[in-house]
Amino acid sequence: MAADATRPGAATPMGTLVVRRTIRAPAARLFAAWTQPAQLKQWWGPESVVCVDAQIDLRVGGRYRIANRLPDGNILWIAGVFEVIETPHRLVYTWALEPIAGPPERVTVQFKAQGQSTEVIVTHEGIPSVPIRERHELGWQGCLDGLAKFLQSGAGGA
Amino acid sequence: MQSSGSKRRGAAEDRLDAAFQALGDRTRRALLARLAAGPAMVTELAKPFDMSLPAVSRHIRVLETAGLIARSVEGRVHQCSLAAGPLQSVEAWLGHYRRFWEGNLDALARFVEAEGGEPRTRPRSRHGR
Repeated sequence: MAADATRPGAATPMGTLVVRRTIRAPAARLFAAWTQPAQLKQWWGPESVVCVDAQIDLRVGGRYRIANRLPDGNILWIAGVFEVIETPHRLVYTWALEPIAGPPERVTVQFKAQGQSTEVIVTHEGIPSVPIRERHELGWQGCLDGLAKFLQSGAGGA
Repeated sequence: MQSSGSKRRGAAEDRLDAAFQALGDRTRRALLARLAAGPAMVTELAKPFDMSLPAVSRHIRVLETAGLIARSVEGRVHQCSLAAGPLQSVEAWLGHYRRFWEGNLDALARFVEAEGGEPRTRPRSRHGR
């Protein structure tokens, strides 16, 4: 199932992105993969990113930090605070790239059971328009370009 | 992390800021939605809204400044039409995030589906590193 993101022009508020994917696994399994550092480290990140560290304090108000090693060798930390934890259905947490300070973005992850599978819905809100340049300079752009290539090569379409 | 050689791309970002700001208003989004159906005169555009013509004109001016619409003037008739450029850059920027999350969910799917006893996805090239 190709990840069927929001259609351009759909009635989505600006700065918000919704990405969905149906995965053949129970919600509890996916929730654990998403919230347990030992598991998260094994899969987190698009192809060009390697997750080299993950710290997750899974409680409301608890912090998480995820270290992403980019293709250029730089480490980009993604960090935030859990706001809602509904095991194994829903997670809401803030999202910020360190060391860049900025208004926090917010990520909601929903795990919706569908028979043997689970639909994972990621809603990323508060996507800023300003710090693009800074992010690009951290290599995020390169990493995403690598990702785009990866996806276009068909490897991601399994 | 210092700026690694890339010069200010201020103009492009100013445009993106202007586009996001212009889109952050439901009246202006409604105006764009109407224009997506085809060009229209300012008076036509104003009709469905419960506001004065000058108020609607101000919204149109914001959209115009952001480059989201183009205006042509023939005599006293102002015709507006949709200009797609800035919308495309907003979409492109969101596209970076979209590709990140799509790639991430693909990786998650490979991880749990390979493990789940049905290893029918392609071999993982990440070698667990």
